[in-house]
Amino acid sequence: MMKNLYRSEEASARGEAAIIVISLFFVGLLVVAFTSNPIATGTQPGERAPLFTSEAYNGNGWQTFVFDDLLTPEWSPNSTGDAPWIAVEFLDTDCGYCKQSAEDVGNWAEQYSSSVWDGPEVIFIAIAVEFVSDSSRAEIKEFRDTYEHTFAYVDDLDVDIAADWDVGATPTYFLVQPDGMVAWNSGQSSNSIGWDAVNEEVFPLTDYTGDNYIELNEAIEQLTKKYGGGTQ
Amino acid sequence: MNEYTLLSFHAVIIAFGVLLMTPLGESMNGFLVNKWPSTSTKRGRTLAGLMLVCTGGFTVSAHTLWMHNKLSEGESVCTGSSILNCDGLIGNPEYNTVPFINQPWGLLGMVAFCVLLWIVITIAKEPLALTTPTFLKAGLGATIAGLPVIGLLVSYEIKEGLICPFCTTAHIANLIALGAFFFLLRLYESEEWAPELKKTRK
Repeated sequence: MMKNLYRSEEASARGEAAIIVISLFFVGLLVVAFTSNPIATGTQPGERAPLFTSEAYNGNGWQTFVFDDLLTPEWSPNSTGDAPWIAVEFLDTDCGYCKQSAEDVGNWAEQYSSSVWDGPEVIFIAIAVEFVSDSSRAEIKEFRDTYEHTFAYVDDLDVDIAADWDVGATPTYFLVQPDGMVAWNSGQSSNSIGWDAVNEEVFPLTDYTGDNYIELNEAIEQLTKKYGGGTQ
Repeated sequence: MNEYTLLSFHAVIIAFGVLLMTPLGESMNGFLVNKWPSTSTKRGRTLAGLMLVCTGGFTVSAHTLWMHNKLSEGESVCTGSSILNCDGLIGNPEYNTVPFINQPWGLLGMVAFCVLLWIVITIAKEPLALTTPTFLKAGLGATIAGLPVIGLLVSYEIKEGLICPFCTTAHIANLIALGAFFFLLRLYESEEWAPELKKTRK
């Protein structure tokens, strides 16, 4: 009987301690939850684009490429300044669709970084993966030269970046806000939604060409100029 | 409010806990015993001090979780041109989550210090229970288990050439708790664990 009494008292101590500690834990969690609004890292509109570092060919050889360096963390929809947006294309040098669209992508890269364009500058980068068949840096360089692209081609032949960005097919395009948030992803089940940075919610993009598919240029035109247009 | 002012709140809780465990704690007896009679003994003061250390570890861990969330929003919470910089570590997606479970380190810290706190409160409530030595050993084991985690996080700091003061405060709290559990285990084996029983026997 004495032994049972001991057990009972000890259980009571453990139970009371557990109630105190669990309460403390949930109070802590609630304070954190009510005072912050965490943003997940991912590639859906409204998520923070995964950062990466690799080597890129920019016409003058292969150099270290740090994606973070393109970002302007202090950017906000109402901020002034000329923070550039980033258009990311995942391509495979052996992919037919990538070859088909290469000329358009080259034209858009020139158009959205020129002074004729009345919206914010858009920096283009291509991330070369190896999905279809064996590829190489020589092929990447040749592809870039063939289509006279002037933007950087990032080496992702080991598809590490593609895995982080959840890319399973090429070409896949992303439009990233200057602060690193994904504004549009062509690989979503419905590619016609973009991210509204002011209201912090997705909204439908308009399909100008009526082909039921939002092209990268349509996303750029609608999203980058949403917050006042001009290079500010 | 400056981030170091906020850090000092956590540090004060831990420092007061350490103070209670040291001989200086004994000199504060009069002030504490009226409110918390258990602090009249070395055991009581050490357990009370350890509770404060674990509470400080918990609050600083919760603060790093908050920082993790704020950094994901794109805000800067603790930058500096100096080596002391939390943003570069808590905001670095390569290092800021626990491997395999992919949760922020701050959350792991909160859970770990809650478990330690539960052990300490249980011992404090029933210091003469049969399970006390098991709880003391569990506390010691849990804090020792924290050492490889601290080692991993320090290796990240060395790799990045930065020191996160908030994370370091949580690491120090774990190390203090380890020392305190070791001390309590030694105390349990001595007669000083329950001086009240000694008096009764006489």
